[in-house]
Amino acid sequence: MARIAGVNLPTNKRVIVALTYIHGIGPTTAKKIADKLGIDHSRRVQDLSDAEVLQIRETIDADYTVEGDLRRDTAMNIKRLMDLACYRGLRHRKGLPVRGQRTHTNARTRKGKAKPIAGKKK
Amino acid sequence: MARSVWKGPFVELQLLKKAEEAQDKGARAPIKTWSRRSTILPQFVGLTFNVYNGQKFIPVSVNEDMVGHKLGEFSPTRNFPGHAGDKKGKR
Repeated sequence: MARIAGVNLPTNKRVIVALTYIHGIGPTTAKKIADKLGIDHSRRVQDLSDAEVLQIRETIDADYTVEGDLRRDTAMNIKRLMDLACYRGLRHRKGLPVRGQRTHTNARTRKGKAKPIAGKKK
Repeated sequence: MARSVWKGPFVELQLLKKAEEAQDKGARAPIKTWSRRSTILPQFVGLTFNVYNGQKFIPVSVNEDMVGHKLGEFSPTRNFPGHAGDKKGKR
């Protein structure tokens, strides 16, 4: 069991897959880390030595923003837009798509589940 | 797609001239502009622009966080008053 960047402890998966359980590390970053430390892509977390785990931990600490820090950064960026009262900020405030997508239909990811309109019958 | 860096930020020349003049004189009168597409530059901080939104001029007082955005971003062109019969959300 390896514990990297706080709460993450994925076990008998391949290292490059297990690393993607960390918020902020996807397949590409995971591969980069493995290549940098010379860990074969087929190696699994359970047969990593303690030294290798430590190396991974240090690399992530030094080069990447992950988990809580990353979430805070993202939240701060959104908050900045909202406080600024610019167009993008207003869209965030209203919970509508920010990048100019249509809202006539779709946009359900941002708007949430469709609310029925009272008094509208077929 | 983002604008090429080598071109530098886009600002309407006329507007840039007016803004620099106002900054030099310390004039507090808002600058009326239709140029929503102009980037807000660091030297605009502290000025007030009246930015046209297609209907009227919206006063935008520039602070340093706004640098890099366009003037138009602060002057909404649409007003959504809410759906008919919507109890809340009226503004």
